[in-house]
Amino acid sequence: MSVFELQSLLPQIILALGATAILMFGAWFPSRKWILGGVFVSLLAGLSAGLIAPAVPEVANLYSVGSYARFFVMLWSLLGALSLLLSLRYAEIHDLPGSEYAALVLFAICGMGLLSSATSLIGLFLGLEAFTLVFYILIAFKRDDSRGAEAGLKYLVMGAVATGFLAFGISLIYAASGSFHLPESFAGLQQAGGMRALGLVGWAMMLVAIGFKVSLAPFHLWTPDVYQGAPAPVTGLLATGSKGAVFASLIPLFGALGPLKAELNQILWVLAALSMLAGTFAALPQRNLKRMLAYSSVVHMGYLMISLLVGGPEAHRALVFYLIAYTIATLGAFGVLSSFSGVDDEPQEYADFRGLGYLHPRRSTVLAACLLSLAGIPPLVGFFAKFGIIAAALRGGYPGLAVIAILAALASLYYYLAPIVVLFMQERDARELRRGCRHEYFVLALCFAAILLLGIYPTPLLDLLAGVVP
Amino acid sequence: MIDSVLTGFPILSLVLWLPFLGTLLCLLMRHSAVACRWLALLTTLSVLLVAVGLFVGLPAEAGWLLSEDYTWIPSFGIRYSLALDGISLLLICLTAVLQVAAVLISWKQKEHPALFYALVLVLETGIIGVFLATDLILFYLFWELMLIPMLFLIGVWGHENRVYAALKFFFFTLAGSLCLLLAIISLYLIHGEQTGVYSFAFETLKQTQLSSGVEMLLYLGFVLAFVVKVPLFPFHTWLPDAHTEAPAAGSVDLAGLLLKTGIYGLIRFAFPLFPHAAQQSLPFLVVLALIGIFYAAWIAYAQTDIKRVVAYSSVAHMGFVILGLAAWNQLAWEGALLLMVNHGVTTGGLFILIAMLQERTGSRDLRLLGGMWKSLPFFSAFFLLFCLASLGLPGLSNFAGEILVLLGTFGRWPLFAALAAAGVIFSAAYMLRVVQGTLWGPLGQVCKLGDKGCQHEDLGRREWLLIIPLALLVIWLGLYPTPVLEPMRGPISLMLQAGGLP
Repeated sequence: MSVFELQSLLPQIILALGATAILMFGAWFPSRKWILGGVFVSLLAGLSAGLIAPAVPEVANLYSVGSYARFFVMLWSLLGALSLLLSLRYAEIHDLPGSEYAALVLFAICGMGLLSSATSLIGLFLGLEAFTLVFYILIAFKRDDSRGAEAGLKYLVMGAVATGFLAFGISLIYAASGSFHLPESFAGLQQAGGMRALGLVGWAMMLVAIGFKVSLAPFHLWTPDVYQGAPAPVTGLLATGSKGAVFASLIPLFGALGPLKAELNQILWVLAALSMLAGTFAALPQRNLKRMLAYSSVVHMGYLMISLLVGGPEAHRALVFYLIAYTIATLGAFGVLSSFSGVDDEPQEYADFRGLGYLHPRRSTVLAACLLSLAGIPPLVGFFAKFGIIAAALRGGYPGLAVIAILAALASLYYYLAPIVVLFMQERDARELRRGCRHEYFVLALCFAAILLLGIYPTPLLDLLAGVVP
Repeated sequence: MIDSVLTGFPILSLVLWLPFLGTLLCLLMRHSAVACRWLALLTTLSVLLVAVGLFVGLPAEAGWLLSEDYTWIPSFGIRYSLALDGISLLLICLTAVLQVAAVLISWKQKEHPALFYALVLVLETGIIGVFLATDLILFYLFWELMLIPMLFLIGVWGHENRVYAALKFFFFTLAGSLCLLLAIISLYLIHGEQTGVYSFAFETLKQTQLSSGVEMLLYLGFVLAFVVKVPLFPFHTWLPDAHTEAPAAGSVDLAGLLLKTGIYGLIRFAFPLFPHAAQQSLPFLVVLALIGIFYAAWIAYAQTDIKRVVAYSSVAHMGFVILGLAAWNQLAWEGALLLMVNHGVTTGGLFILIAMLQERTGSRDLRLLGGMWKSLPFFSAFFLLFCLASLGLPGLSNFAGEILVLLGTFGRWPLFAALAAAGVIFSAAYMLRVVQGTLWGPLGQVCKLGDKGCQHEDLGRREWLLIIPLALLVIWLGLYPTPVLEPMRGPISLMLQAGGLP
């Protein structure tokens, strides 16, 4: 590895070294202030990705450092910084070790960045495992919480199975084509009349693994329990970054597949439709905010699969836009959850939220805006996100999926309005304040502003994506 | 002179965003209820001032009188384009009048006043936006923008069964809206594939060549969204619940304005974009409108809650409007649009009076009320006036619209017109039952149970101020509707030509 390649990988190096440093110094000087150090490192990595031009286009035939990859590195760095800010008070009241927490989140961000920039199947595997391993720990970070332990174990077992599938799938594709590097490894799968059988089996296994990671139906069953058991800021990161990074890596992956993608279209169709339907039906009866968000995320993953299925630059731009809209709103929702959590309780059940709307009007408004944006109500950013996906589906010739998407959006209003009704339309006698902190308010204000401004004027982001997304 | 002032100045954006500015100020000053309500009143009054200024200052011509057009989201071909013609001008004036009334009737709002006025003002922005937008996505945005404030107005400040009513309203309209969205995007893509120009501009999309099957499908998507809002039988079931549970301002806005957006959507977008499909659908619309007129009257007669009676009467009146539109000629359309404006004023007035009655007696139940004329003579006189206007007494507002609709319809479908005329008698039956049950007869149980000798205070100063202008409007629109008919004449004939006269 040359100096130039190291320079090109600077953001990841900053994240990894920063995390190690925080971990080591944190052992000597334990303090929760290390989380702020993590915020600083994360922002530094994001800035270096944005400002310092890489010297080489690709590092070690594993990772791209093109504008697409750097865009996502910046995005996940920002996400990591915001998640850490949200965790500050949470770590304080739940007595979580600050330096370990910050270091783990930084490692996760590093892995997400690597995954999003993977140009080879090995790079993909490494990036994915890098942050999945971290999440095994983060989910069960509250050691004395049995729910957290259960969630961690569940994620570990499911994740290990998925890893097995991924490794096996990659090795089959390698066996069929003789290369890990992206265009070549798929070019080798071509044969007269379609894809080689070995390649198809390999892809099937990879899709299973991907399905587990982003919780597509029918591989989504771990999602609600893990969401519920994990600490709220961790769930926020898990719901946004870990799924988003996988989708970010899938765009070049499917792009490299070229015309062979036609072989997979039927499976992708079924995955998309099944995720939207299963997620919707499972989310409808939920009375727990975290579980509802878990099932609704399955629906959102179904939406994202639609544009992956359609393919082409416009659909991919719609996908990334949707991903960003989903990330902002989900982070905001889990941010409000962590900011409402007290010393020994984390409000999750709808009953816990009764009448909070007038007790904490600002944070409740942010939560309502996030949920309505997820539901795709204009003038919030979720509307143009859904608009892009539905337009892509119709343009790509999938009116059936567009209709399912519309129906799912209609049904989604039912489960997204339920917490809003509880917040604002039900009275409550007991008046206990749930105090948050400045850092949380800052993140929530940022999310709220982004949801509203990008909903009213999405042109800058769309222009940016037009330049970045291949 | 006014033209030269208006050409350079974005007056449409001013009318549109003024209420929104009021919303933001309300939220800023949320700790003072008094400041909020004065702010809301000032905002709605200034919107009214601008609207009346436009009404007086603009010539009664066909075509767009004012327009604005800016780039907004070029990558999707979405533009911020507003335009105003005679019809939208009238509806904006109606909106401005009723919003002032809505603020005044909720003057004593005690629960979360800042949020309440903020939502009423956002609602005004949404409604005016619907009447102004000519880019379909912009239209859709405002269309949806009306939903959220209404959801909260009903759900937070409504009566007993409010959450159920709010959600029912929301889901009915949203189901329709999503069909509309799907149809809009399909039309956009079809047009883009044909010409290579991806645009949501109404004038551009009108040029799209459609096969008859696709045209019918897209038309149905549009019409479904609009008739749910109108509401046409059998899509009306959300309306009685929403009206009954909504607070006074919510009922006024629902009946006076939101229902009109559905009609407006039909004539502005659904009919001109899909003229052939529209022609084919007219007989179905007539039948549904007629069923609506009689069915709603029948149900209204059986109600005991005054608000529910008025709600069903709205369904019947909207049946008349749809009947007039389906007759598809100048006279009937003028009548239909006039009836739409008149219905806004009369029903708005009725809901305001019902709110005053409920404030005094705590009841809207016809079985418990009665004999109000003795204790509330002034109130009762106005109540009688608005009830008579609503049932279509000649000389009062609704009659002018109804008679034009019936005359216009008679030219095309004599039988249906004759049937619909019978519907007027039905409306007399249920409205007079309301009058009888409320104003006349022996003192009702409400009085006997409650206060000594049933002493309620008659109209206060604020209430006089509120009800006098509306009463004058009712009489003016009934006796001399020409100033209202004039600005809509040109646009209607343009629309009928563009839609292809039979």
